[in-house]
Amino acid sequence: MNARPDHSVLADQEGSARDDLLMDVRNVSLSFGGVKAITDISFDVRQGEIRAIIGPNGAGKTSMLNVINGFYTPQVGTITFRGVERRSMKPHDAVRQGIARTFQNVALFKGMSTLDNIMAGRSVLMKRNIVWQMLWRGPALREEIEHREKVEEIIDFLEIEHIRRTPVGKLPYGLQKRVELGRALAMEPSLLLLDEPMAGMNLEEKEDMSRFILDVNQQRGTTIALIEHDMGVVMDLSDRVVVLDYGKKIADGPPDEVKNSQAVIDAYLGVPH
Amino acid sequence: MSYLHSIFVAPFADMADAPDFFLQVVWEGLVSGVLYALIALGFVLIYKSSRIFNFAQGIMVVFAALTLVGLHENGVPALLAVPLTLLVMFVLAVGIERAVLRPLVNQPDIILFMATIGITLFLIGLGETIFGGANKVMITEQLGIPTGSWVVEPFGGFVSVEQKDVTAVVGAVLLVIALLVFLNKSKMGRAIRALGDDHQAALSVGISLSTIWVLVWFISGIIALATGIVWGARAGVSFALEVIALKALPVLMLGGLESVTGAIVGGLAIGILEKVFEIYWGQPLLGGNTEAWFAYMLALLVLLVRPQGLFGEKIIERV
Amino acid sequence: MFYRIAGQYKTSYGADYALFPIKQDAWLLALILVFAFVVFPLTASDFMFRALLIPVLIYALAALGLNILTGYAGQLSLGTGAFMGVGAYACYKLITIFPEMNIIGAIVLSGFFSAAAGVAFGLPSLRIKGFYLAIATLAAQFFLLWLFQKWAWLYNYNASGAIQVPNTQLFGVTITGAQAPVLAQYFFVLITVCILTAFAINITRGRIGRTWKAVRDMDIAAELVGINLMKAKLSAFFVSSYIVGIAGALFVFLWRGAAEADLFDIQLSFRVLFIAIIGGLGSILGNYLGALLIVALPVIIGTVPAAVGLPISSAMVEHLNTMIIGALIIGFLILEPHGLARLWALMREKLIIWPFPH
Repeated sequence: MNARPDHSVLADQEGSARDDLLMDVRNVSLSFGGVKAITDISFDVRQGEIRAIIGPNGAGKTSMLNVINGFYTPQVGTITFRGVERRSMKPHDAVRQGIARTFQNVALFKGMSTLDNIMAGRSVLMKRNIVWQMLWRGPALREEIEHREKVEEIIDFLEIEHIRRTPVGKLPYGLQKRVELGRALAMEPSLLLLDEPMAGMNLEEKEDMSRFILDVNQQRGTTIALIEHDMGVVMDLSDRVVVLDYGKKIADGPPDEVKNSQAVIDAYLGVPH
Repeated sequence: MSYLHSIFVAPFADMADAPDFFLQVVWEGLVSGVLYALIALGFVLIYKSSRIFNFAQGIMVVFAALTLVGLHENGVPALLAVPLTLLVMFVLAVGIERAVLRPLVNQPDIILFMATIGITLFLIGLGETIFGGANKVMITEQLGIPTGSWVVEPFGGFVSVEQKDVTAVVGAVLLVIALLVFLNKSKMGRAIRALGDDHQAALSVGISLSTIWVLVWFISGIIALATGIVWGARAGVSFALEVIALKALPVLMLGGLESVTGAIVGGLAIGILEKVFEIYWGQPLLGGNTEAWFAYMLALLVLLVRPQGLFGEKIIERV
Repeated sequence: MFYRIAGQYKTSYGADYALFPIKQDAWLLALILVFAFVVFPLTASDFMFRALLIPVLIYALAALGLNILTGYAGQLSLGTGAFMGVGAYACYKLITIFPEMNIIGAIVLSGFFSAAAGVAFGLPSLRIKGFYLAIATLAAQFFLLWLFQKWAWLYNYNASGAIQVPNTQLFGVTITGAQAPVLAQYFFVLITVCILTAFAINITRGRIGRTWKAVRDMDIAAELVGINLMKAKLSAFFVSSYIVGIAGALFVFLWRGAAEADLFDIQLSFRVLFIAIIGGLGSILGNYLGALLIVALPVIIGTVPAAVGLPISSAMVEHLNTMIIGALIIGFLILEPHGLARLWALMREKLIIWPFPH
């Protein structure tokens, strides 16, 4: 039940346009009781890239991430992830298929330590049943230690060794964001969704976070889709950018191209439609 | 087959056969329902204005009734005992605000809920220490509540209506009307409602939180005293009332935690339904005393279909 | 000075998972166990066993069960008393239907009955949250209590409506029933409680415990990191009710000796909840400290004033006891919401750096 399904066979049958396509979002629309959050959006994410989703407040960016990881079910449209087409799934199934994310407002487990938070990210990957857990011997202990080693690697990578045992509720905001990234990494995702990873950070913290994101992308080969407001950061980090405004896609392409698009400039300057 | 008959046919046949008896059952249920609704109302007020799930509302009923009877037993005339009891409830409201609510402001909901359980226990212990643990008789006559009964004769049968029950219903209706007028017309009342909608906004227009809390707890105390008098007149005054008072919880769940209408409708519905169920299904088929759990099971079933209660608003989850 | 941790290095993650990474903690536990297994049995009177030691252990176990559900998994329960009842009645039926059954077997099995009841009433937790869930456990409390009263088969149609614990033996020693020596009962309870506590510690510090705590702290986020909320909540109900059920079986078989339905009323649910709150939600140790306080308090109120020449009636003892517990709950919530267990943790931290406070 915990094994990740192997979709490579399916992917071949699907015959996607590009063979490095990781996820394809097609004609997705989402509304809440008549209020449209997303209207007919299509875009794709390629293997190994950093894909940015930008747009003014209320453009539907977070709703888009919520659709991708199964928290919301769109009324129309499909999402093809690693060759499997779907409209809805339970969020924990999304994690099993390799989609992990962080949140706009830090959503850590405040009563737990940094270590436990990151370990919790590995819950899906751990298998020992309750009887072994009860005894805390043999397979259960081995599994725990094995995963602890992986988690300690992440802790080293994010340079948060010193707060390993601190309850995350007591950490400053910037560090909480880092722990949250750690928890997402612990899931060993093939697609990492970051919802405003640098919101509320100072310049130094932003630089650190940018470095971590690039390292994750390059060293671990993780594909990243991120929402961010800091244009400088977005333009530096991302390979391709999709721009949303009022729930619609208004531009899609490499950062330089998007930056000069008239529609994007209008959206950010608030030119009336 | 005969079992199905006894569940789905026989009870309704009984109701049709003796409509006067059915009316009697509904009336009895309605009176209990009024009392459930009153307790739930006190609760909703506190929840609306401070997000506190006030477990102590039930015990405040007992405490108010005990104080009233206790004062009278110690020689205070009945009509003077009522304002004195109100004074005690006011002091209690101030005390709770100072000693419990203020130090716990901004704590998680669950902590405040537990604190009200602590208040419950403290009040039980305090009441017993002062007034003793024995059952008491409500000073119904001394308060001028009529104790006779009327006989109504619908459908050629007869329904007996106790005058104190009628007094209870009329009193409850007046109390609710007064409360609604207060909430909708007075400045303080509007402030309480504003607080329910948005804490920050209410504070920013210069309403003192402590004043409102004291006021709200005091109003709940008044409601508690009214409930205590009418309930005590029916069932005597003892801490056993506390268990009955717990029934306000399913009423609230059914009506939604924040809805005054919900509290009233939920209270009446549960009062009537549990009585009807007990008489027509519980006693013949299940060995009786189903009133102990009926309300909870009903609320549970309703919540499974509508997790926000009958009158609550649908919650959209966000991250 | 005595609690110095300097110099205690861990060289592997395995060593870090020892139950007590700091050896003074292990010494302290060893000391407590020596008292529990050797000193008390040699010195305590029958009154001590019956009025203090056995009930503290059983209440602590019940609170441990509740704490797993409420303190670890964040699901409020007001139905602990009824689930204890399920364990007790199940054990009674098992023993009377299969008289040759070993008492250990009966108790181990009886927990599964309460666990099943817990899961059944826990199912609504998948749809209902927070305070609204309290109603599900209250429904369990009142419905099950009613069942204990009305379903005569449960108490073998006794005219009194009560269950009477039969005599059972273990290794030739009478363990339950009127003739059972209190020392044997004490050891039986102590060993059961120790084993279940060890299991609970292990579960709560591993994967399952983390999923519970994650659900407690933020259920939406838990779901989004891949935790199956249904499994997490229902497993918490299962484990919690299992332990609570065992506590119920011990409560009747090893302590009270007889029980009627009213024993498992909502007051019992609350008493266990108070122990968990005062002890500390989300802690294992707290259950013991809380149980000790709640069980010992009436004994102290009953004896101390009398000893200083202020005799008070037993009714008054009870009233004062209720009042003090209420005040204690409020006091703890204000001063230290995490209860006695956190107070001990703070004290221990002070001890570690003592006598150099910086």
